Amino acid sequence: MIYLDSAATSLQKPPQVSRAMIWAMQHCTSPGRGNYSAATQAAETAFQCRTALAELLGATGPEQVVFTSSATHGLNIAIRSLVHPGDRVVLSGYEHNAVTRTLASIPDVVQQVAVGALFDPASDLAAFAQALEKPTCAVICTHVSNVFGYILPVPEIAKLCREKKVPLIVDASQSAGILPVDLEGWEAEYVAVPGHKGLCGPQGIGALLCGKNSNPVPLLTGGTGSESLLQAMPDFLPDRLEAGTHNLPGIAGMLAGVRFVRQQRPERLLRREQALIRQLKGHLVHIPRLELICPNDPELSTGVLSFRLAGQDCEEAAAQLGQRGIALRAGLHCAPLAHRTAGTLETGTIRASVSPFSRPEELRTLTGALKQMTEK
Amino acid sequence: MIYYLIVCRSLTYAQQTAAALERAGIAAHILRSPKSISATGCSHSVKISQRRLAQALTVLKRVDLTPTQIYITEADGSYREVQL
Repeated sequence: MIYLDSAATSLQKPPQVSRAMIWAMQHCTSPGRGNYSAATQAAETAFQCRTALAELLGATGPEQVVFTSSATHGLNIAIRSLVHPGDRVVLSGYEHNAVTRTLASIPDVVQQVAVGALFDPASDLAAFAQALEKPTCAVICTHVSNVFGYILPVPEIAKLCREKKVPLIVDASQSAGILPVDLEGWEAEYVAVPGHKGLCGPQGIGALLCGKNSNPVPLLTGGTGSESLLQAMPDFLPDRLEAGTHNLPGIAGMLAGVRFVRQQRPERLLRREQALIRQLKGHLVHIPRLELICPNDPELSTGVLSFRLAGQDCEEAAAQLGQRGIALRAGLHCAPLAHRTAGTLETGTIRASVSPFSRPEELRTLTGALKQMTEK
Repeated sequence: MIYYLIVCRSLTYAQQTAAALERAGIAAHILRSPKSISATGCSHSVKISQRRLAQALTVLKRVDLTPTQIYITEADGSYREVQL
């Protein structure tokens, strides 16, 4: 199979990821729950993972790194901690349902979408500046659109938030592992990351990075191995947000993935992804009936490319590609707001997304298949 | 053997404390706090040798990891809180 759906989940992982997970299943129990070796090994693994994530993502200390089951889980904590019924929230035009559905579940929240010209960072920034003229309880911004790979100007949006003293939540689902993510430098309140995309870890694990002054509200309550006599959750991180037994195999796998990413260097991984997408665009632009939906400047996007075929349903086209052994994602990608912004809500798009393990010949095969399909 | 227990509010803080001390050349061992000194039920402590306490406190102050409580072992195996 040619796998080009890494924006959803990276399938090919460094081999050390599965090895670490098997080791954890055989040797680790739960961090902090005992003085025996299986518990202390679990504790050490968790600490190393927190430390590695803190160093990669700009947190000062490991206590600011909270393990979650996914970026969606982290975004739910962040949003429910900052947004209350009736509040006004400013968000980008490229947010995932992990953000918009969570906001919609809080009564009477006003979602003010800040969007400029399509794939234009300067006009997006101006739209945020204008939206922040009114009282706002929080800004939520994805770092990279999961549909179009478009890189939003998060450092500049963070600066605006600092000036206006508005807390910022960043969804780094598509950027962690390839772009600089800087919790403290941005002075963001929260940054949510998944383990299973650019960090090359397994599904079912992620992290929420909490700013120094954040005051998160737990979604779950339960045992933490600390302050057990008290019936309130601990008031310190990470325990406050980590009720129940940890997903230690997931943490061990994510740690191995993060080490791989740091060893490969995120900026190098990004350049490789961008080169692959440039190559793919160069091929696809010659296919009649195929419309690319992407920034013109290749520096403004990551390893994601959306397109659609005139007169052909995107899901049916992706199914045909699937029958040829090429895995892509079609439809709305759980991000109807992003499609509304780009004018593709009615048709959806087909999305190709690469990983550190994608190869140029795989993109040539995709191009050949699309040529055949459009010539019929 | 007489030793000190630096009580930390969470496992992660205990790990940070131990890491800071180890970096400064002070042997530090993390353990779950004895029940008799865990006022709130469960906590973690960092065990250090009696003669390294002063140096350890200097190191922890430098990295902003102030201990919540410190205990010393008594001859009968019990623990006595040390007032800083």
